[in-house]
Amino acid sequence: MTGLPIDLTLARDSLPALLVGLRTTVFVVALSLLFGLALAFPICFARMSKLRFPALMAETFVVFFRGAPVLILLYLVYYGFGQIDALRNGPLWILFGSAWGCAIVALSLNHAAYMTEILRGSLLAVPRGIVEASEALGVSQRNIFLHVKMPLAIRYGLKAYQNEVVSFIKGTAVVSVVTITDLAAVANGIFEETYDPFTPILCAAALYWAFVNLVRIGFDLWGRWLDRHKMDRERAPVPVLQNVPTRGRLLRQIGRVRGRVL
Amino acid sequence: MTHLSLAEINGYLRQLGEGALITLELFLTSFALAFVMGVFIALATLSRGRIVTAAWRIYASIFMGVPSLLVIFLVYYGGSAMLIGLFGAWGRSIDVSPFGAGVAALSIVYAAYIAELVRGAIDNLPKGQFEAARALALPRGVLWGKVILPQAMRLALPGLVNVWSFMLKETPLVSLAGLQDLVASAKIAAGATKEPFIFFIATALLFIAFSGLTLKLAMRLEKRLDRGQNRDEAPASEVAA
Repeated sequence: MTGLPIDLTLARDSLPALLVGLRTTVFVVALSLLFGLALAFPICFARMSKLRFPALMAETFVVFFRGAPVLILLYLVYYGFGQIDALRNGPLWILFGSAWGCAIVALSLNHAAYMTEILRGSLLAVPRGIVEASEALGVSQRNIFLHVKMPLAIRYGLKAYQNEVVSFIKGTAVVSVVTITDLAAVANGIFEETYDPFTPILCAAALYWAFVNLVRIGFDLWGRWLDRHKMDRERAPVPVLQNVPTRGRLLRQIGRVRGRVL
Repeated sequence: MTHLSLAEINGYLRQLGEGALITLELFLTSFALAFVMGVFIALATLSRGRIVTAAWRIYASIFMGVPSLLVIFLVYYGGSAMLIGLFGAWGRSIDVSPFGAGVAALSIVYAAYIAELVRGAIDNLPKGQFEAARALALPRGVLWGKVILPQAMRLALPGLVNVWSFMLKETPLVSLAGLQDLVASAKIAAGATKEPFIFFIATALLFIAFSGLTLKLAMRLEKRLDRGQNRDEAPASEVAA
């Protein structure tokens, strides 16, 4: 073994295959995030409902799909759901008959359970007074939810959402157990062909790292965009004052005082 | 639905129990190691040396941005090569088992999370705590061991509980490196009996029960650690009641 654990020619040769794997991973992630989020809304409404039965059902769903490891969920859906006759003979078998369908179902259910809790926490964090004020103004319940509660809830929950998405992406590395050749599976395959323990896995890790950090940057930009109203006040007075050549000191002092007051 | 005899069920249950013990052992060992490593990393990186801080940033970024599964594979496949590289010929005698690789990988990954939590908790302590300890000329060991860390742990506990339950859900990944743990036993039993539904549901429920039980304990611990905090509020709440 030479000093560097990475075989550069192997890394270059396996890059196309790894990128195909990355594309699969991105597909799996995007689909599950989409379906998981779509599922989370009705489940969250049920969870927050005053009726005992839907609330209990939703809570059971959350406890089960959040508490069970993703690996077991994948096994359960892939191997276990085929046992249910109603499922095997029904129209849903198109979904559960394929590895892709099973993986997406298992991951979406897992993500939905986490998102239900994040959504619930964010909605509960919306101050009651704002909702009451909207009701007093005669805004309909639907519009209160869409234009008052959700915009605030998104701001409150953004950090939690980001963390969930990031750890979810890393969690999808197990989908290879149901025969989907995602990035981790491709790397594993190259290892089994070449017996190079470092190069393929480190390359795959680098690609995962880049993917995760791109997502993180995207979330940061989104958060900054949502908070753009907050920065106007701090940003405005500074550039004006710095461009004044003469009487600079006095103006700067005035500006500093004004900046502090504003 | 069940065409299994009682003896068969008994046998599979014993196998599952053995697997569960291995999973538990793996999880507790990794968590304890990650905790110790995390606290030490936090203490080492709090001093504001630029190189130390940069090294910490890189370490945290790598292990928080890469799936644990890949870290497990890397340690398991490349572990012996790394050991030989580190210790020369002496490393050849060390065999990397799936269990050892799992413990190493999980504790390396989660030490980063725990270090981040502990760093945040120490940063959030009032500076007066350090100043008072220094004014009393407490030795460094006492300053950290008796003054700062106990308070930091109280602040870090909710985050540690999160790491605890998250790490628990990642321990089954080691079965993919060949460890005969709970999930691997469940998979074997499911394949042999053709009853995957029951076995996987049971495994999932075991995980949920364990994390539920430990979360209850954590809540009691949290209350206990908080008992000195709301001394002033107690009479007020009595008045309110």
